[in-house]
Amino acid sequence: MNHTFNRIIFILIFLVNSICLAQSWSSPLKVFGFFQTSYYQTMHLGGTDDYNTFNTQQLNLFFQKDLTKKWTSFVNFEVLNNFSSSKQWGSLNLEEAWIKYYAGPQFTMRLGLQIPIFNNLNEIKNRTPLLPYIIRPLAYESSFGEFLALEELTPERAFVQTNGFIPISKSKIDYAFYVGNSPNVNDNSFYNQTGVDTTNTLLYGGRIGYRISDLKMGLSATYDKTNAFKYLEPIIEVAEGFLEKVQRTRVGGDLSYDFYSLRFEGEFIMVNYDDDVKELKFDRWFHYYTLGYFIDEEVFLYYSYWLSEEYYNYQNPSSTVLDINNAKVKVIVPTIGLSYHMTERITFKGQFAQVKIRDSQDYKIIGHQPTENTFSLAVSVFF
Amino acid sequence: MKYIIKTVLIIILLCGSGYSQVAIIANKSVTIDKIEKSQLMDYYSRDLKFWDNGEPIILFDLKIKNQVREAFYKFLGKSSSRMKSIWMKKMLLGEGDPPEPLESEEAMLKKIITTPGSIGFINPDMVTDEVKPLKIIEDEN
Repeated sequence: MNHTFNRIIFILIFLVNSICLAQSWSSPLKVFGFFQTSYYQTMHLGGTDDYNTFNTQQLNLFFQKDLTKKWTSFVNFEVLNNFSSSKQWGSLNLEEAWIKYYAGPQFTMRLGLQIPIFNNLNEIKNRTPLLPYIIRPLAYESSFGEFLALEELTPERAFVQTNGFIPISKSKIDYAFYVGNSPNVNDNSFYNQTGVDTTNTLLYGGRIGYRISDLKMGLSATYDKTNAFKYLEPIIEVAEGFLEKVQRTRVGGDLSYDFYSLRFEGEFIMVNYDDDVKELKFDRWFHYYTLGYFIDEEVFLYYSYWLSEEYYNYQNPSSTVLDINNAKVKVIVPTIGLSYHMTERITFKGQFAQVKIRDSQDYKIIGHQPTENTFSLAVSVFF
Repeated sequence: MKYIIKTVLIIILLCGSGYSQVAIIANKSVTIDKIEKSQLMDYYSRDLKFWDNGEPIILFDLKIKNQVREAFYKFLGKSSSRMKSIWMKKMLLGEGDPPEPLESEEAMLKKIITTPGSIGFINPDMVTDEVKPLKIIEDEN
């Protein structure tokens, strides 16, 4: 009895010591986040189905803990569109869960689910307090997912990433390299485990950038193989499996520059599919430019222009009924807006955007989409 | 009489020009003895997080808007709102915390004396032997 008691006391002392030792290496758990609530008034030109709505567009909750001086862990939960599980509204997503090793400014490594560095906006596209926009540039705005293949334009997830910068005199060369899953992630539990890549391919990507004073620019690229066009095999009459692994390449460029109270930022993204079938074309490209002016330190006024083009081209050798010949869907959005940082933690935003969708095949691809004018107001709160 | 007029003129000129100085100071444990603008920007933008000896860089900022703070940001070449957006970006990306904002230069001096690896800025007249002065910024508005 006495022996067992001593044993328990010894184990307890050992456990308490271990916990204390672990705690002495780490900092307290930090919990923080932000949300953005907005109001939209949308008018369809030539249509009657105008609408207005309030929306708690996004809420993100972060948990961060420095485990040692060099190791940090980070978790990001994202809740979208008035989320309610009982009403089946919106969604709740685990956006990031990673651990980072900071060896120095030249080398940082992150392991785990993360949003990879691609151009200027990809990494921060969902951090609403950092953006003056309510409706974000097309490639980064989830609400455009209904008529744009957003996941084709930017890499959404990676699992291993190294990044850092190399100082050269007064300038810095930034770099980032990452690996993630290919887009062939299984959604059907009948066939395999869901949420995982069920093919033997990976996503490889990176960005090389240059910074000097208030100028920042970079080139980004990713490479992977997609099975998204497999459904076209019987239509264009190629052997089964021919479109199983179509090479997809994204190339992006970004530039931002602050000049006194003016700020310019712009990006382009080109997506190319190399499928060895000349009749098949699904290439797409996107660019945006924003020119802004700080009226004072807290108020930022901007004009932005976004353009996206998607090509659809495939031909059936036996019948022209199924053909889509050189169709192009174009989305053009000129927008103007204002953001006001009332305090460090509260930002008010206003935006007007005109969304024009053009389909070169007389709306055969996406159906008739009238031009719409959207006025929006939002408050973004960091807590 | 001439002497009085001269003195008054000099005072008016100095006041009119908004002449102010800032001392960049650090805790005695910090291994560097002087600092350049680009280095200071690297620290305050959180691009660099550790001193050469591996000690974490602890940053302080002033909560109050005074001439010293204004001259400090002017030297960095960034407005305070731009710096705040850089810090918020770093924080939201899990890259580190913003500098701790302090109520006064006296509070900053006390904090720097007692916090190893810390760096901040105060009026040069307040610098004591208990901190390491790294640079005097002369700002003429």
